[in-house]
Amino acid sequence: MSAELKAAVRIARTSGASALDEPAGKKLLASYGIRVPASHVAKSAAEIPSALSTLKPPYVLKVVSPEVIHKSDFGAVKVGLKSLAEVERALAEIEATLDAKGIGERSWLIEEMASPGLEVVVGGVVDPEFGPMIMTGLGGVFVEVMKDVSFRICPITRSDAAEMLSELRGAPLLQGARGRAPISTDALIDILVKMGGEKGLLTESADEIVEIDINPIIVTAEGATAVDARFILQHSVEG
Amino acid sequence: MTLSAANAGAFNALFSPSAIAVVGASATSVSGGNRFIRHLKAFGYGGSIFPIHPSANEIEGMPAFPSVSATPALIDYAYVAVAAQQIPALLRSFAGRVRIAQVMSSGFSESSGGHELERELVHAAQEAKVRVIGPNCLGVYSPRARVTFTERTTDEPGSVGVVCQSGGLGVDIIRRGQNLGLRFSGLVTVGNCADVRPHELLEYFLESSETKVIGLYLEGAGDGRHLFEALRAAKGKKPVVILKGGRTGQGRRAAASHTGALAGSDNGWKALAAQTGAVLVDELDAFLDALLAFQCLQPRSTAARRAVLFGNGGGASVLGTDALARANFDVAPFEPGVAAKLQALKLPAGSSVLNPIDLPAGALQQDEGKAAETIFDAISDDGGTDVLVMHVNMTVVLSFRHVDMLGNLMNAVLRVKARNRSGMHVVLVLRSDGDPDIEGPKREYRDRAVAAGLPVFDELSTAANALACVRHFEIFRERIAQTGPI
Repeated sequence: MSAELKAAVRIARTSGASALDEPAGKKLLASYGIRVPASHVAKSAAEIPSALSTLKPPYVLKVVSPEVIHKSDFGAVKVGLKSLAEVERALAEIEATLDAKGIGERSWLIEEMASPGLEVVVGGVVDPEFGPMIMTGLGGVFVEVMKDVSFRICPITRSDAAEMLSELRGAPLLQGARGRAPISTDALIDILVKMGGEKGLLTESADEIVEIDINPIIVTAEGATAVDARFILQHSVEG
Repeated sequence: MTLSAANAGAFNALFSPSAIAVVGASATSVSGGNRFIRHLKAFGYGGSIFPIHPSANEIEGMPAFPSVSATPALIDYAYVAVAAQQIPALLRSFAGRVRIAQVMSSGFSESSGGHELERELVHAAQEAKVRVIGPNCLGVYSPRARVTFTERTTDEPGSVGVVCQSGGLGVDIIRRGQNLGLRFSGLVTVGNCADVRPHELLEYFLESSETKVIGLYLEGAGDGRHLFEALRAAKGKKPVVILKGGRTGQGRRAAASHTGALAGSDNGWKALAAQTGAVLVDELDAFLDALLAFQCLQPRSTAARRAVLFGNGGGASVLGTDALARANFDVAPFEPGVAAKLQALKLPAGSSVLNPIDLPAGALQQDEGKAAETIFDAISDDGGTDVLVMHVNMTVVLSFRHVDMLGNLMNAVLRVKARNRSGMHVVLVLRSDGDPDIEGPKREYRDRAVAAGLPVFDELSTAANALACVRHFEIFRERIAQTGPI
């Protein structure tokens, strides 16, 4: 298990959390060589200006709070923010929502917004029978409505990863169906192997982390960026 | 993971025992142990049988012994069918005297309150250094050693090895399977798998020189990871067909993520099939058909794709083409060269030599069905065909009583198979209407064909599905040949 993984799990457990918060999750992904957006964590609104000084617009603003599980349900994610003023306005709106719901504990993740591309989901689960398994599917309705996903038992090889993608019903979209540009399947295969391969995050973390959603990963012709990630710790889904 | 020397010894003792102890045969009535002794005698078992009984001097006309320590020879295999409570102490008494024991008794983890007793069983087995199959199973079938746990099993040995977690289904697999032409190297019912796990027996069959194809019937949870690792290590050494019960059960606790919610028990088995080349089937008939296909056919180094359908009956040809296409085979028209060759044969009127080749019985009978061989030769010589499916509507063909058209067709297809150098799969579909006067000859033709290595199926769709199982394995082998070790 990597040092980053151990540290992230320890911090989350110490605070009594059942999941890694998003900045910790992304740091973990980055430590396994998975690209995440350039970002900064701000403790309060006052830190936003200095956070923005190192980032390029447009920005994404997200709240980080153990009390907020599904950020989009709270309107707690704001995208496409072009300036400090827009970020500050968005932050005020989210604060109002959180205050109304009585959610106190919070900090802010401010990120560079990934350029548009195809949305892909990569997930992991520790199966009671097979141990760590990796999943992938195309984002949105493909995964959520059509359940068009493919699973493999870890550890996987590159050829397993390529096969996972090719067996999706939506696979033609990866090749640029319906007038889209083809995306880099190599970048996606890289992520699958970095997650589910011999020394992958999922394979190495199975004792500590039982479920992972990286949703979405935005894939373009140039590469793939993990835009959101959730890591559920071992004991939190037991019993 | 590979077969350990200790397991090899124990499982050799299971499948070819020289001395069998039977614990649980009655001196006064007929219990499971008595029936096992009777089956062994009727089946012509040539080794020693030692009934074990605390007080009786004689059981089933054979001298009985108070314990395994009193027998004149060490025991290879002990058949145990006594009350569950007695099992742990009994297993301890086996130390140094018994190589492997199979516990038929129920009352363990399959019943409420039996978990503790099952843990005791495992503990006792480990202490005594005796491997234990079961508990809660029916026995072992090994035709080479003339050992069987049930009646009416063929003594003809074969190359199919089966591990079966259900006793009753084990009987079905043998009996229904042998009527389809399956011949077994061994079948063992394993029940709760408290000590010996299915993957250990899988490893044994992977090593066994008598076993060409392996079937696993599994239910319940718990052994997926071990099977995955054993199969992964085997790298497609032998075809393995898996029938897994309970795959529709979700069996997952409340999930905290999308991925967790999407992961049912089926995903793991499907992944295992994709990653190891094991063939996953959904029901018993498909399991038996797949085993038959692998028993008869030699998997190709390049996966089969192009299929030729030959037979009588236009409707059957159309449906057969659909079935093969659904199973991802290509039933395409012949290349111009072959097509010209077939045209030049000047086949009887009414024939169609496109693919599918439809030769109505009336056309076939003009030369007593011998045209078939000419056609098959042309196809075989061309080498462009991976699968040849011959289907016969027996009702129609047998109604031409003055000629042995089916006999000629069979001879033709068997000769083509024997000469076949391109590794073309040849399979036969014998379509019957179920009348006894059709079923009788069908049985004879089936036996003859399967004995010659030609798998026989009842319908074109089942043939297509069984061929798809073979192809799944071929695709896996092709893939590991390309990408190197996995």
